[in-house]
Formats: sequence, C-alpha cells, structure tokens
Amino acid sequence: MSHYIVLVKQVPDVSQITDNAFDPKTGNLIRTRLPSVINELDTQALAFARRMQRLSGNPQEKIIALTMGPPMAADVLRYGLSRCADAAVLLTDRALGGADTWATANPLAYATRKICAELLSGSRDYYIVAGMQSVDGDTAQVPAQMAEELDIPCIAYATEVHHQNGQFTFTRIISGGSQIVEPLTTPAMITVAKYEYPLFASFERTRRANVLPLIQWGADDVKATAVGVAGSKTRVIRVFPPGKTTRKCQQVQTSQELAKIILENAGKNRRKETALTEIKTGYILPAKRTRPFDRSYEGTEKEIEDFQILAAKLNELNITNPAQIDAAIQEKILSDGKIEFHKKALEDMLIGLTQTQPEYTGEVWVMAEVSKDALQAATFELTGKARQLADSLDTHVGVVLAGEGVGPLADELISAGADKVYLIEHPLLKEFDPRSYCKAVSDAFLAYKPQIFLYAATPQGRVLAPMVSYKIGCGLTADCTGLDIRDSSRKGQIAILMQTRPALGGNVMATICTKDSTCQMATARPGVMKRLPADPSRTGQIVKHAVQFTGADLSLRILKTEKAHGAVQFDSEVIISGGKGMQNRDNYDRLLDGLCGTIRNQLGVTVEKGATRTAVEQGFTERIHQVGQTGTAVGPRLYIAIGISGAIQHMIGVAHTETIIAINTDHHAPIFKQCDYYIIGGAENIVPELIAALNNHLNTGH
Amino acid sequence: MQDYTNVSVLIVGAGPAGLAAAIALKKQKPDLDVAVIDKAAGPGNHNLSGAVLEAAALSKLLDPVVPNWAESEDAKAVLLSKVDRDDVMFFWGSRMAFKIEAAIKMAKAFRLAFGQMTHRGDYICSVSKLTGWLCKTAVSLGVEVLHGFAAEDILWDADRHIAAGVKLKDQGLDKHGQKQLNYLPGEVIRAKTILIAEGCDGLLAETFTAKAGLVRQSNQLYSLGVKELIRVSDAQYAKFGSGRVVHAMGWPLWTPLVGPAMFGGGIMYPMGNNHIAVGMIVGLDYKYCDFNPQDALTRFKEHAFVRQFIDGGTVVEAGAKMIPEGGLYAVPRCPDTQTIGRSNVMLLGDSAGFVNMCKIKGLHNAIESGIAAAGAVADGLDTPKGLARIYTKRLEEAGVIKEMETAKNFRQTVARFGPLQGMPLSVLGGWLPTFNIEPDYQTMMPAAYRLKPPVTFDKDTFTAVAATEHREEQPCHLTLRDETICTEKCVGKFGAPCITFCPAGVYERIHDQPKPANPSNCLHCKTCQRKCPFDNIRWTVPEPNGGPQYKTM
Repeated sequence: MSHYIVLVKQVPDVSQITDNAFDPKTGNLIRTRLPSVINELDTQALAFARRMQRLSGNPQEKIIALTMGPPMAADVLRYGLSRCADAAVLLTDRALGGADTWATANPLAYATRKICAELLSGSRDYYIVAGMQSVDGDTAQVPAQMAEELDIPCIAYATEVHHQNGQFTFTRIISGGSQIVEPLTTPAMITVAKYEYPLFASFERTRRANVLPLIQWGADDVKATAVGVAGSKTRVIRVFPPGKTTRKCQQVQTSQELAKIILENAGKNRRKETALTEIKTGYILPAKRTRPFDRSYEGTEKEIEDFQILAAKLNELNITNPAQIDAAIQEKILSDGKIEFHKKALEDMLIGLTQTQPEYTGEVWVMAEVSKDALQAATFELTGKARQLADSLDTHVGVVLAGEGVGPLADELISAGADKVYLIEHPLLKEFDPRSYCKAVSDAFLAYKPQIFLYAATPQGRVLAPMVSYKIGCGLTADCTGLDIRDSSRKGQIAILMQTRPALGGNVMATICTKDSTCQMATARPGVMKRLPADPSRTGQIVKHAVQFTGADLSLRILKTEKAHGAVQFDSEVIISGGKGMQNRDNYDRLLDGLCGTIRNQLGVTVEKGATRTAVEQGFTERIHQVGQTGTAVGPRLYIAIGISGAIQHMIGVAHTETIIAINTDHHAPIFKQCDYYIIGGAENIVPELIAALNNHLNTGH
Repeated sequence: MQDYTNVSVLIVGAGPAGLAAAIALKKQKPDLDVAVIDKAAGPGNHNLSGAVLEAAALSKLLDPVVPNWAESEDAKAVLLSKVDRDDVMFFWGSRMAFKIEAAIKMAKAFRLAFGQMTHRGDYICSVSKLTGWLCKTAVSLGVEVLHGFAAEDILWDADRHIAAGVKLKDQGLDKHGQKQLNYLPGEVIRAKTILIAEGCDGLLAETFTAKAGLVRQSNQLYSLGVKELIRVSDAQYAKFGSGRVVHAMGWPLWTPLVGPAMFGGGIMYPMGNNHIAVGMIVGLDYKYCDFNPQDALTRFKEHAFVRQFIDGGTVVEAGAKMIPEGGLYAVPRCPDTQTIGRSNVMLLGDSAGFVNMCKIKGLHNAIESGIAAAGAVADGLDTPKGLARIYTKRLEEAGVIKEMETAKNFRQTVARFGPLQGMPLSVLGGWLPTFNIEPDYQTMMPAAYRLKPPVTFDKDTFTAVAATEHREEQPCHLTLRDETICTEKCVGKFGAPCITFCPAGVYERIHDQPKPANPSNCLHCKTCQRKCPFDNIRWTVPEPNGGPQYKTM
C-alpha cells in the first residue's frame, strides 16, 4: 500500500500580470498587486497522485498535501483537500521566510520525514509527487534537492504513470525523447512536467476542507538544519525589469501580406542582440586594473553610483593608489558638502578598494551532456561562456564528461575552448541515473574543487545540478541567461559570479550570487550563451577520473527509451512549428511539409520543423522536434508558429529568434503579444493560401 | 463523520438576493447550517447591474447584523456616493439632449407610477462589489458560501410536491461528452429547503417552474443591458461629477416618425477613480433582425452629450446581462396557492422577477425578498411544505408585492403600444386591463435597424475585458433544438440574428450552419435563449468556475 505526499505551493498569479502590476517609476513588478493562486503544475501533481491512487486501486492509501509558506498558504492546502487530499500539512514559521531553494528543500525534506513517522506509521512505501517547477521561481530545484536530502530516487519531468504487477512505472521526458523508468526503491520523488487532467473540487470535499484543521508545524517541529535567509546559499543582489519586448506585434490581414513578410525576413543576414541577456564588458582582476578605483561593481544602483562618486573624488584628490588613503583623506571626503556618505558606508567602500584577493579560487567547470553519442549544443555554448569567465579570472576551463564510451568526444570539447576534460567512464553511467551521475560528478568535484560549475538547464542538467549542489553544500541558481564576473558587497568580495535569470514567468530579472559555499553553481538556458568557433589547433589535457560504483549507486531501472531517429537541423535559418491547434498528425505533416518545402525551394534557405510539447504529446511528431524549455532552444532568422498559444515554456525556447510570425485562430492567444507579425485564422485555411501566395510572389518576380 | 452532502438550507446563487437571505437567516438562527452555492469562480464575478440602490433595503438587512455598517471601510468602498444630481434626459438625434426631469417630478407629485423614476439619495454602487461585500458579511456570520458549484437540476417529488435537493453539473467531460480521467459526476446535495436566487432566467429556476407546475399570468419579458466601464481623464470625471446619474431615452433606440422604435435607454454612472459606467438597456421585443444592442451602445457613446465625458477614455471592463421586466404578472406562482415558489422551494430576486420597471430597479426587492425568505425559513423550517406560503405572505407584508403592483402593467403597455404612446398610457398603470404580450422571440421581423453603425462592434475586445473564459474541453453548453430550422427557416428570412445579437460573438456560421461555435466566450446573459426568432436555442449551465469575471460591473 503506497501513500502520496504532494508538494503544493502558493504563487502570484503570473497570468494576471497587466501594466497595472508594474511600478511606473522603477518598472518593477509589484508583487502584492497579484492575486495568490496554487502553482498550476502542482494542480497537475495532485491529479497525478490521485491517478496513482486510482491505478493501485486501494482506497486506504493516503494523499497528504504539504506546503511551506506564510499562514495564507493554507489556501493551497484547502485546494488540495477539496480535490483529493486526505490530510494537509502547513509548514509555517517566520524563521522559514526568505529561503532560497536550499533552505526550502531542507525543511520540506525534514517535514516529509515527520509525515512518514507520524502520519504514515513509519511506512517507507510512499511517493512524493510535485509539480516540475513553480511559475514564480521556475527553478525546478526543490524536488531534486529534497530527493538528495532524503537519498531517494528522483524521476523528473514525468508525464504519465503506469501500474503493472503492483509496480508503478513512469514516463519521463529526456533530451530528444522519452523514457519509461521505474524507481528501484521507495520512497521516490516524482516531478510532474504536464498532466492534462487537473481535478475538480467536489462539494462534499470542499465543505470538509473548510472545516478540517490543518496540521501546522514550525521550523523547530521538523528539526530542519537549514532555514530562512541564514540557511540559504544564494542571495539576490538586485531585481530589475526585463528589457521591453522588442517584438513588433503587428497584425497582418491577408496571406499575401504575410507571404511578403516571410520573403523579407527569411533571407536577412542580420541578427538582433539577445533581448534577455544584458551585454556587459569583461571583468578585470584588481591586480591587473589600470584604473585602481574601478571596482567592476555589481549592486544596487545607489551603491554603483556611490563608487563612481568616490572614484571621481579620489581622482580629484590626486590619489592613485588605495594605499595612499588614510584617515585624513577619509575626513576630507566626509567633509565634502556635495558628497553624502554615511561614515560606515565610506569606511566599507575604502576597505573594498584595498581588496585584491578573489573570493574563490579554482577552475571554471562545465558539465557536458551527451545524447545519442553526441555532445549537446548547450555544452558547447557553456564551454564558450566558461572560456570567457576563465580568461577574466586567469584560470582554466575544465569540462566534466561522464558516461560510457564517451572518451572520443573529449577532443571536441578542447576545440570548443576547454583546457582540461575530466573524463569519468563507467558502464553504470551508460544512461542518466541521477544517483550514479551525482556520485560521479561530486566525486570529481571534491577532488579538484573548481570555483565555478555550470550546467545546461536541460531535463538532465536541471536534475543533476540541484542534487550535486545539495550533496556538496553549494548554492545554485537555475536557468541563467546572464553570467558575469563582478565585485560584490561594499567591503569587497572580489570576482564573484553574477548569475542573472528571469523570474515570475519572465516578468522580472534577478541577479543572484552564491553565499556560504565553496563553489558557485548555475544552470544556464540552452541557446542563450554563444559557442566559440571550433579551433582544432587548441590543445588540452584529458584527466581520467576513476569512481568506484556498486549496484546501490543506481536508483532507476530504465525499461524503454524512445528517441527519435533522424537528425533535426535546429540551426536552420527558418523553423516552422506546429502546436495543439494543428489538431492532428495529418494536418501537422501535410501543412508543415508543404510550407517548409515551398520556403526551402523558393528561397534557398534551410528550413526545419518544430513542435510544442503538447503537439509532441498528442503524437503529431517526435520528441526530437520539440522546441522550448523541455525541448530545444532555437534562434533562427524566422520562426513561424502555427496553432501555438504562446505558453512561457515554449516562448523561452524561441527568445533569440530574429522574427517571429504567429498564425492562430484564438484572438486572445498570448503569442500575439510576443511575436512580430500575426494573422488570425485557422492553419487549414491560412497555410495553403500562404503557399500559393509565396509561389505567386516568386513566379511573378516580386 | 458528518455527511457533507446534506444541508438544512441550500441557497442557489450568491447574488444580492441569496446572500441577503443567508445573512438574515444566519442572524436569526446562528446554529442552522446554511450553504450558498454559485457557478462563478469568485464573489461578484457574474453580477452586473447599473447600479443605484435604495438604502432602505440595505439598512433593513444590515442594521441588525453590523452596527454602524454605513461607517465601515467595506461600506465606503462599495457605496461610492449618494445620488445628488439625477438627470433624466431625452436624446433628440445624435446631438441634442433635453432634460425631462420636470415631467418625472410632476408625475411624482401626482403619484403617477413613472414618478418613481427618481434616484436622489440612492447609493451608486457596483453590484459585483456589493456582492463581494455581502459575501464577506455572510461568511463572517458562519454562512458557507461555496463558489464553483453549478446547479443543473432540482430533485422534485411530483407526487408529494416537495423538493429533496439539487444535482450539480457533471465536470470533466470532453467535447464529445466522453469521460476524461478527471471526470467528476455531478453530486446530489440534499436539502430541507431550497432558495433559488440565480438571477435572471436561471436554469434551475426555469426547471423548477416547469417541474413544480408554476404558472406566469403573463409571459416574462426581457431586456438586455450591455455596459462598459470607461476610464476617463480627471477633467472629464470632474465635469461629470461623482454624485450624478444620467438616464437617457430616445435616440438611438427611438426616434420620431421613421423610427427605430425600441424600448430602453442609456445610462451613465460615476464609479469612482475616474471611471464612468456607460450602458445601454434594450427591450428584447425589438424587431430588427440585424440589430445588436451593442450597436445602440456605440451610437449612445457617439452622442454629443455622452461623448464629452468619455472621449479618449479606455474601456477597462465590460459585460452584458438580461433583466426580467415583465413585472408582477410575470412572476411564476403556484396555480393552487398563488405562492411564489412551492412547498420548500422559494424564488427570490430576479429569479422571481422582482424588477420594478417604473423605478427601473430590482436590487432593493432582491434584498427584501432575501429577508422575507429568511423570515419564512426561520419561522417554518419544521414544516417545510408550508415555507413558500409564509414567504409569499412576508413579501406582501414587506411591501414588495404592493410596490410591484404599481408597475404591474408598465412594460406590457409599452410593449403593446410602443414607447411613444405606451409611456404616457402607462400613467394609467393599474387601471388598464392585463394583457398577455407575446414572448420576445416572436417579435423579430425581417426589418433593418436604420442607425446601424458602419463599423461592426468589436466583440472580441468586449469579451476580453469581461475576462470570460471556460474550460475549452467540455461539451457545448448551448444547444440547438433542431439545426435544420436555422438553415431552412432562419438564415433566409432573418440572416441568423444570433450571430449579430450575441454580445460575446458565440455564434458563427460554419459551413452555412449557424451554431454556438465559441461557447467559451459566453457571458451567461442568455439573450440567445430568449431572442432566437424560432426559440431554437437552449442555454444550459456550463462547468462552474467559467464565465465572465466582473469586478466593477
């Protein structure tokens, strides 16, 4: 008899974000203006748990909803109780506030232990079911870090559950395909990527939910070891509005007009700068600075400005070396009527200027990801980024390459910018098992102690990185779109990795840095960083790192892997994607092939087909064609989205496209606000018209 | 364990009537379990009105419950201001406007029925906000207000003439009616007594009326109100004034000689924070098959008098709702006992049709009927079969019936004689004989509305700001009784008027067949059910938690 602990979270309703929700002066999102709702993927997690309970057919099995949050988070527990939960636990305490994923996963794991002991009579036969990620943080880290704390199997990105011979098996998304796996032991963590059937509230359960007392625990009750701000291993340096969308959002009335736009945009050679990433100049270590008072500082605007004022003042006083600064100088600055520094702030800043020693030492590392015997594009992008970071830090780039028979790929990594490749080969690493990979990577980490460790934010990286970070006790920032080295803190922390990422569904940007850790870890969105041109003349070192494995180092049994055959050319100049609005596979094939063929033949450009996650799920095409957060990030000149609503997870994957065209019947489709041109209409009508118009334009020579 | 599917008092509909009943009842019987269900996702989401509210009914409800309620923060946030300027206008063409207050005042002096059309001293409020406040008050008293539950049917024992409960709508069916993995069959809620307070033309009220054999002496007549909330400039709002209400007759619904000739009028109410509500109410007994009440709203907004206050403004919210205008003769009653309801089931507010057309108000009666129902239940819960009788008696004692009497023939007279002759004739009020007027759907003619604006009304934006949505994968809640009627009779003669008059653009012609192609846009106004010229459309309740999300309507 299994039981189910479902993690739920209260989040701001990102779908309700309107212009009203932003401070007109600062451009920042005012979070209190947004209503609070249950995280949508968590509603699917509840349904998934209910499905498991139904499949196992034992009504005695319990579903327990668990959340951590302020007292008002009780609302999401009542949501759970009104659908399927039998009991609900609210972990609430002032001491838990301000936690990052580390200090969230830790108390939740301890609460799980307490639930197991007190509500499940100590039974180890339970599953923790969670939404794959929350819409406010988008990190997907908490479940994996909990799994690491509890030392249990973690099956991330589950889309379906099956039950045979008393055993659950799960379908999970992997890069370019899907896999059916079963956990070798219980308890196990399951994170749900998408499950289409959220439960409805019943009248009976709702009335009960409104009167049932919730089980309420504080930080001390669960005996968590890392809580709140103090227990967190990252801190937010600043939050700022993302650059306004540069998309034109123009409506097009006719297919003829649209054909013209395609002709104009498919052949262009210019690429826009990325909208999501801030372009910064390189970092120079203090020892090499020609201007000693330039701190390459990252902080609040006020702090940055203060350092500029101070540098100007020191210049005015003819100070050229931090060593010249004494109490008299300090007094002079303080007595300057134009400058208003607090004494303490000035002291801190002057100390900061004398600091030269970087906070962290060691190499800059990248975790390589291999799929179908080839290195993933994201690995090369990260290696390019790591090269840039390592150069400004005066250190080496190391790439960790783990797997079975992956040795021959090492040279490619060196060509791409690596100085060293740490090669860990073992038969148990043939397939991605979070436990064996976590062991291999953390073993290498502890042997060499890099200062920065980057992973791709892929289905694999987003599970592995949180587990490794938790195991070795380092902070982690997910899904970065900007990585820069800067000095931080007035008093002077030198050469810190600034990790910039979108949050709240891309409505705000946050710059985060690691604290209380020996290494700075981040995952980075694929398709954002630039890979370097391969340089086969580069030389590097291959370091073989041996790790001892036993059978206990595996947590999953892989029953079936489905990967699409044939190659997908996502570096094509034009990508045409279909979504749920294509209705069926026949439409998808017929319409997309037709349009792809016409554009390819008539314009002489490379064209590839893409799809949304839903389209893949509905069987319109293979997983390998999936574009988006759980698929591949692309950046073509022209992206044509047909029957695609524009969910954030999909749009993240096309953020670096030059021109986006959307075709959709729904007047309110969110994609219309995130594209350059759109036409309202059904694919079945528009696409044939468009093909005819394209042919016509070219034949008549226009 | 307690049986949560049983409840002593079930109130269907968390609007002003239902919540008033819940509040008044819980105050008198704190230990009684009272549950209110509503199909909307949250308080006030489906409530739309003008609105001006007579304070007396609200005082009667709240005085015993919340001491000094008028001084509370909630009250101040909802009851924006009192009417200090009451403009009744007549629009002559697209530019000229005359005040006809003098005529109304004279009528009042002579105690003529339409003299009631004055609003000075009444509160200006948004009924969605009012509902939110009443909901909060009810919950604070211990009433269970449960949103997201749609009643589909009443369990009526035809032999014993008593109701056992209601059945909720099934959820989790796909478009073709197949059960999805999350299918939840509609639960049965058993109740000792049921108060139906669903608002205008509710599914449960009509089902109950039919099952229990209630009869309307005269057909119910409806109007459709379409309304926009417009954010205007500081200067425009100051010029309009925060205590002024405007009611305008004439153009574009009625013009002399060449027509058009429709009953209704435009309204303008200040809603605080530089927002003005602009609405158009049109009697559904109009005859123009190409007419859309939103066209009249467009024309009204273009009128020189209106335009000065809203030009350059932004529409931030919109909605549409029907009003039951038939008056006292259209209230369904039990033929044997003349009760408004039967046995343990009572009809409240707009579900009964307590709109006084001379006052063009119904909110005060909705609240009064809630108080009357609460009194009846408090008195007679042990003898549930007699509740409707006590309720009807209490309505009489409260003066609701008497007030309705004064307006009993108003709407019918206008319908019979047209706005020009009917309005003065209605002065004779109660002396005229009762006439039965044909239902609204029978008045459609192959005639064109002369003032149709050149640009088609932008229904997409209208529904977008009404924030209406439904779960897409559910069976269509609108059905055509016979599809061939549309193609063989309607398209040729009238050109499928549903496509035009539906304020949400639900209907579309697909392969020549007019059909409810976009049911997820539905605003739950039910105009289609009452105005399809062949009475061919049936509105049933969709899955709960859908529909519009009114905030300040």
